Amino acid sequence: MDRDIEQLNSALNSVKILRSNVRRVFESVSNGLRADHGEEIKENRYILELQELLTTVNNNLRDVENSVANLTPPPGAFNLGNTTYLSQETTQDRQQLYGQLVNSYKWTDKIREYSALAGNILASNSFNKTYKTFGTTKRRKTQTSNHNVPPEIIENLITSIDRLFSDVTITASRPFVPNPVIQVALGRVLRAVIAFKGLMIEWVVVKALSEGSDVWTESRYKVFRKVTENCHAAMCHFHSPLMPDLAVRSFMHWFHSYITLFSAPCKRCSKHLHSNLPPTWRDLRSLEPYHEECK
Amino acid sequence: MGVTILAQFPVENKTGPQIIEVLSKRICALGATPQGQFLVDCETFTSVPALGHQRTVHVLHNSEQPATVFALLETGTKTIPLVTDGLFDLLIMKMISFYQSKKHTKTESKGPRFEIGDFSVKLGTVNITSNFKGILVEVEYKPCVVPAMCWDLIMEFMQGFLGSSGPTAPPAFLQNRMQEIYSPIDTIQQYLEHFTIFRKSTGPTMVMRPQQP
Ligand SMILES: [Zn+2]
Repeated sequence: MDRDIEQLNSALNSVKILRSNVRRVFESVSNGLRADHGEEIKENRYILELQELLTTVNNNLRDVENSVANLTPPPGAFNLGNTTYLSQETTQDRQQLYGQLVNSYKWTDKIREYSALAGNILASNSFNKTYKTFGTTKRRKTQTSNHNVPPEIIENLITSIDRLFSDVTITASRPFVPNPVIQVALGRVLRAVIAFKGLMIEWVVVKALSEGSDVWTESRYKVFRKVTENCHAAMCHFHSPLMPDLAVRSFMHWFHSYITLFSAPCKRCSKHLHSNLPPTWRDLRSLEPYHEECK
Repeated sequence: MGVTILAQFPVENKTGPQIIEVLSKRICALGATPQGQFLVDCETFTSVPALGHQRTVHVLHNSEQPATVFALLETGTKTIPLVTDGLFDLLIMKMISFYQSKKHTKTESKGPRFEIGDFSVKLGTVNITSNFKGILVEVEYKPCVVPAMCWDLIMEFMQGFLGSSGPTAPPAFLQNRMQEIYSPIDTIQQYLEHFTIFRKSTGPTMVMRPQQP
């Protein structure tokens, strides 16, 4: 254990050194020729300096690779051990510890999962490959600009939707980013987490208001999992590459009809329940409620 | 925690276990899966005369919230709810010289628990000091937190397996709170409402102050 931590420390340290030296390369490149390069043969001096820096970076990179190779990946999920007893703690000021512990456990678990995925992807896409093959001008022309728009435009779109419906509350945890993830609370009925890719809706997850607001986990309730499924169908239906903002608006308009998810009976069978679910489908044009089986 | 509706099921010359068996079969035929047992219990304490104007405290536990103790204080003009942790049980034991347990009022509802879709169904046999009193059916619709939004839906569900014995109007306690966000204490209030009716039905010695609406 101690040895593992030592190795982890030295690996982290070499990453730190690598980062700081890469930074120096970029600094040097951005500053260009400086006064202290002198008057004569200043270009040569500058190139020498750059070469030196790059050699250091190369060495650092080798160090990182070596120290990472020494690490043993953790065998499986971490065991909480005795700390689980913290949940039974009765002292007020220690009760919070358990919640924090569980949260950080979730984080490490997620980091493990994502880093494993990232590792696989990076391994199959080695950075030695050149990107020239992709960068043809022909390809660039056909690309629409829907997923590469200034954050302000997306921001304006979101604000205008927010104003459109009085019972819709939109919160964006990180506003003014090119690909924002927003949370849309629909009255006291449900909450959707919507991930944008530029002006296009890329992913939707519908959950109860009491559930967490990340995009990865699905709701624990059947009704919201069904609505999530239907949102994906509608997202594809309304998708329009030429008028992306209209697509988002139409989707939101349709989505707003779920305000009656629990209260409106099915248009066809006039009942509330079918297979113990309320009408989870909304007609794409008329916005009328239907059961999955009745649409 | 979703909206929960509690309803009494008529006994009609049957024994408690017989009714529970019939209802269990019906709900399982609809596709429910058994999910263990549940228990809601209630003990009532009254203040000693030395404290002046008499007050009543009902202490309830619900196996759905095992770490919580619910206390409802009746002052005569209003009911004050209190949600506490397990230490409250110890506290009330310490207060024995001010608040005394009312004789023969220990009431509980317990029985099997089922999950069906997003609903959970509990079939409770009500006993007062181990005398059978009746059947209480609890239905929770977990995804929804506002009673007004899902009342019709829950009513349809309950009538689906209780038949004409299912409720046709929201419980009295909820009628003024249909637009509010539902919380576990609301379930406890409904249980107390029914427990109070069951206690009264045993005779004049058991009469208690009526529950405030
Ligand atoms: Zn239908």
